[in-house]
Amino acid sequence: MSNGLSRRGFIGALGLGATAIAGSSLLAGCRTDGAGTDSPNGGGTNGGSAGPDQKLPNYTLKEYVSPDYPPPANGFEKIPAEYVKVYDQPPGTGQALTVMTPLWGAIPRTSGNKYFDGINERLGAKLTFQISDGNTYGDKMSTVLASQKDMPDWMCLTTWNLPASFSDDATALFTDLSPYIGGDKVNEYPNLASIPTDSWRYSVYGDTLIGIPMPDAGIPNVLFYRADLFEKEGIKDLPTTPDEVLELAKQLTSASAGRYGTDDMQTPSFNQFAVPAKWKIEGDKLIHRYETQEYRDAIANNAKFFAAGVVHPDAVAGTGDGKQRFESGQTMMMSDGIGGWAEALQRQLPNNPQYSQLPMPVIGSGSGDPVVWKGPAMGIFSAIKKGLSEEKIKEILKIADFLASPFGTEEYNLVNYGIEGTHYTLDADKLPKLNALGTTEVQPTYIFLASPPPSVAKVQFPGFVKAYSEWVNNTAKFFKEPAFYGMNIAVPTRLAALDSPFGDLEKDISRGRKTMKDLDAAVETWKKNGGEELRGIYQKVLDEQ
Amino acid sequence: MDAADSTTGDFARRPRRGRRAPAAPTRKLSAWTRFKRDRSLILMTLPAVLLLLLFAYLPMAGNIAAWQDYRPARGFRGSAFIAWDNFERMFTNERFALAVKNTLIITGFQLVFYFPVPIILALLLNSVLSTKVRTFIQSVVYLPHFFSWVIVVTVFQQMFGGAGLVNRVLLQNGRQPFDLMTNPDTFLILITSQSIWKDAGWGIIIFLAALSTVDPALHEAVAIDGGNWWRRMWHVTLPALRPVVILLLILRLGDALSVGFEQLILQRAAVGADTSEVIDTFVYYQGVIAGDWGFATAAGLVKGVVGLMLVLGANKLAHMVGEAGVYQKA
Amino acid sequence: MSTGSVPTLGSAEAPITPAPEPGTVRRVRRRNPNRPVYQEEPKAITKISKGVLLTIIVLTVIFPLWSIIITSFSTNAAVTRAGGMVVLPDELTIAAYRQIIAGGIVTRAVGVSVFVTGVGTLLSTTLTILAAWGLSKPTSFGHRPILFIFLMTMFFGAGMIPSYLLISNLGLLNSLWALILPGAVSAFNVLITRNFFMAIEPAIIEAARIDGAGEWRILSTIVVPLSRAVIAVVALFYGVGYWNAFFNAMLYINDNTKWPLQLVLRSYVLQGQAMPGADPGQIDIREGQVTGLPIQMAVVVLALVPILMIYPFVQRHFTKGVIFGAVKG
Repeated sequence: MSNGLSRRGFIGALGLGATAIAGSSLLAGCRTDGAGTDSPNGGGTNGGSAGPDQKLPNYTLKEYVSPDYPPPANGFEKIPAEYVKVYDQPPGTGQALTVMTPLWGAIPRTSGNKYFDGINERLGAKLTFQISDGNTYGDKMSTVLASQKDMPDWMCLTTWNLPASFSDDATALFTDLSPYIGGDKVNEYPNLASIPTDSWRYSVYGDTLIGIPMPDAGIPNVLFYRADLFEKEGIKDLPTTPDEVLELAKQLTSASAGRYGTDDMQTPSFNQFAVPAKWKIEGDKLIHRYETQEYRDAIANNAKFFAAGVVHPDAVAGTGDGKQRFESGQTMMMSDGIGGWAEALQRQLPNNPQYSQLPMPVIGSGSGDPVVWKGPAMGIFSAIKKGLSEEKIKEILKIADFLASPFGTEEYNLVNYGIEGTHYTLDADKLPKLNALGTTEVQPTYIFLASPPPSVAKVQFPGFVKAYSEWVNNTAKFFKEPAFYGMNIAVPTRLAALDSPFGDLEKDISRGRKTMKDLDAAVETWKKNGGEELRGIYQKVLDEQ
Repeated sequence: MDAADSTTGDFARRPRRGRRAPAAPTRKLSAWTRFKRDRSLILMTLPAVLLLLLFAYLPMAGNIAAWQDYRPARGFRGSAFIAWDNFERMFTNERFALAVKNTLIITGFQLVFYFPVPIILALLLNSVLSTKVRTFIQSVVYLPHFFSWVIVVTVFQQMFGGAGLVNRVLLQNGRQPFDLMTNPDTFLILITSQSIWKDAGWGIIIFLAALSTVDPALHEAVAIDGGNWWRRMWHVTLPALRPVVILLLILRLGDALSVGFEQLILQRAAVGADTSEVIDTFVYYQGVIAGDWGFATAAGLVKGVVGLMLVLGANKLAHMVGEAGVYQKA
Repeated sequence: MSTGSVPTLGSAEAPITPAPEPGTVRRVRRRNPNRPVYQEEPKAITKISKGVLLTIIVLTVIFPLWSIIITSFSTNAAVTRAGGMVVLPDELTIAAYRQIIAGGIVTRAVGVSVFVTGVGTLLSTTLTILAAWGLSKPTSFGHRPILFIFLMTMFFGAGMIPSYLLISNLGLLNSLWALILPGAVSAFNVLITRNFFMAIEPAIIEAARIDGAGEWRILSTIVVPLSRAVIAVVALFYGVGYWNAFFNAMLYINDNTKWPLQLVLRSYVLQGQAMPGADPGQIDIREGQVTGLPIQMAVVVLALVPILMIYPFVQRHFTKGVIFGAVKG
């Protein structure tokens, strides 16, 4: 009955469906498909991309406070006694700007909000925000891109929502930033110059630098374990091979007690076996992810966990919230982004001071050092509409520089916590603590326009900064750049869906519903349906390099 | 057969006869006369028609994208035309046949096992004598309609999942657990149960409205004639429901190619794509996710054409057995 | 027509006794006073199984609903202890609700939603009644083509981008009318209403016609009063549709002071969810805030409240016999 009522266009209906579930599976999918993320440490890795035409900004790190642990961790054990003020004068000249960003959080009031008003005043510009729910942002973006007269001056783009062919169209829509910040010109904007080159490389579409990147946290997904429960169980030695992880999971599983060894082990398996995100160069040949031995081994490894019955049944069914299972002790190991760590502590420590989760050291599939593929150095960027005046573009870049002020500056606190005294006060650790007004008004949408490389300074959790930084910097030692790193290669739309059967197969084989034979068949189909064409496209790019 | 009969059991069947009475003479009138005679009727439909023309038909022109490699940034004018390529890709895709097969199986199964449930439930409720009890039940059973599919699946998982309530009890008593949520063989039953739980209570509303139009005097009349419960059901209650049941059945057929998109995507990992892939999920993964608007539009058109044909066919069938259906032979 | 003539002889059934006779006093007293006199008393087994069935049906709804409500009033600690949805009240709090209402944007959003739902439902229901009656005479001029204009919209949609372009070109972006007009007419509802209209006793209408009443008068004085049940249903369908809609608002309304409630509530569910690409310093969970399940369930409960308030009024129109009792006299 109601389907008659709510009947809309087909695409609309799909949109509804997609958005309703995006929170759980789709976004997570995007996140893990990239086989982890990368390091913001772009110092020496800019390769040939900052070529003679000075397309990319040169990297010059401007440090206001030195971290106790170097990038990529960028960890601070102590809060600086004084926060540095970067901008004495507002960067803007009072212009009005329309901006559009997503937000994963409760949508705040945009008018009569002291947070927005206060920052706009400090910026010397009137930014009017169009904020959308992050899970439906892709739809919002497509409509705005389709109706260019409705485009805001400055908008955030989420890369996982962009069509495969975006590179072909980007230059027609957005301003080329190279004339303003290419090469040493970026030195006018010291905070933008501190953004690692890798992140800028990913902001080039169709040979044009259109984006101001949000530098990615840069760490692959982590296999967390419940250190407090491990201790209770008397487990002292952490596993060093995938098989040992399995043995441990078996030991920890007790279905009748409602306790399971692990959640879905797909991402950890793919990381341990170093499955490439897309292509691998073997000799002078391009081997696709689906054709590699690593891919098969990783799926087979994950299948062992399912077969052994150590995966929580809700994870087998692919429903529910893995974090909830982990934090409530129903699972003992779980894969998550590194950012989830502090969030879990924030949730659990107030009620359970014993709570502790720690990341397992990265392990490889064989002997020797593990390989950790570096993922994209950027997943979200902002771009400036085409056709604005030069002054306006420069002003936007100045504002971006303000917003990209790193940890240790007043500007950073302003963007993330609002106005001191109004929205937050500094606690005994000198950490900003939001008050009631801050909790309702502050939603840092500005970070989607420009932000500094990530840092960590959660000194309120004892030992956290150290554990975090050491893990991150240790993992970064094993980083290896995958093929076509730092490149956005346009692919015809009709080839973009070639991946879709494999996501299903990975689940089917690991849950024992299908076999490797089915994978062989799928690879043959893939080749026939455009896989070879895809290889040709990439081969051409490789040859031109 | 005319108004004089109204106290007999025939009363409620009148809807499908009603159309016959005025039909004979009008044929002979000229179009102009008929227009003049019916102008107020036409005028009544006008506001709705204008809104549909503007908000439904005008943007329908965007379906041109079905023949394009449509890119939002280039617009309908700037995107390349690729003839029937989108359609071809859909029909030649290995998974398409599977999706169609699953869709039809699910639709067929739910036509038999879901569609009658709200009707039966409405009759059951209608037979409850106490107004208080009936009102209470009515105001409870429709509520799950307002739960999202995420919640419905969660509720089922917490009851019947491998770590759910039922299995925990089994395990604690040393019995073998069973996982209803990840069993492809019982998936049809599972999703139909979920649909029933979520929407059957809401679905009764139309039937309750239809039942409320039955004159109690009719029941009395049949009863006085010696009609028992079955006769009253057969001659009074069911005829009152019949037109709306047939209308909904035909419209459901028009929707045959759309089955529980969100419900199925949420449980795709649990039972695998081979079991849960339907046309809507196929199009989602093959087109929408990749930003392939042309492909998605083409699929929408194909679904529309098939749905329309099914409705026209079902309507014809309804006429053949003497029912009014959605529209009438003039 | 012969279906009406029921054999009246020698039925083995217990005779139907409209008037109580001296010998049956005891039986009459045992009868449910609500039971129509012509209805025979069902067997005990029928009564019991019906009772059991209905009780089970109600319980399958009440139990999860209970859990949803309790979870919405739980702390995060209680949710963690329960490992998910809470069934037994553990640590109760109204934090989730307070948090949602404290957002400041919610009260205004309620106003927007009430306006859109109220105006939209009124407009849609009116247009639907008019269109349904306009289409109720299969012999009328242009009947089939007009009917097909409605029917086709059920099969061919317009897609998100073309619809957006239209709204943008009509200058309706940021206008609440963009949330009302595009979906104002549902062909499905028109067909349902028309179906009920066509089931009305033709003799009544013919009589009015002979008395010289025009279509407008027939519609307003006979058809509408006779069709209160279906009008209530259709109004409910429209109302629920307007109230629950968020997608168009997300696309068409940039100014979030004009957002309807559902769109605002959706964003609360996201609070505290890991953001893609977030580093551990940004958008973190606020101290003392409830996140996850309690908020999600509070949103579910809040969305139910208006429906719970409206439904009894709709339900009133389903009472058996009201309509004919009123008209026949």
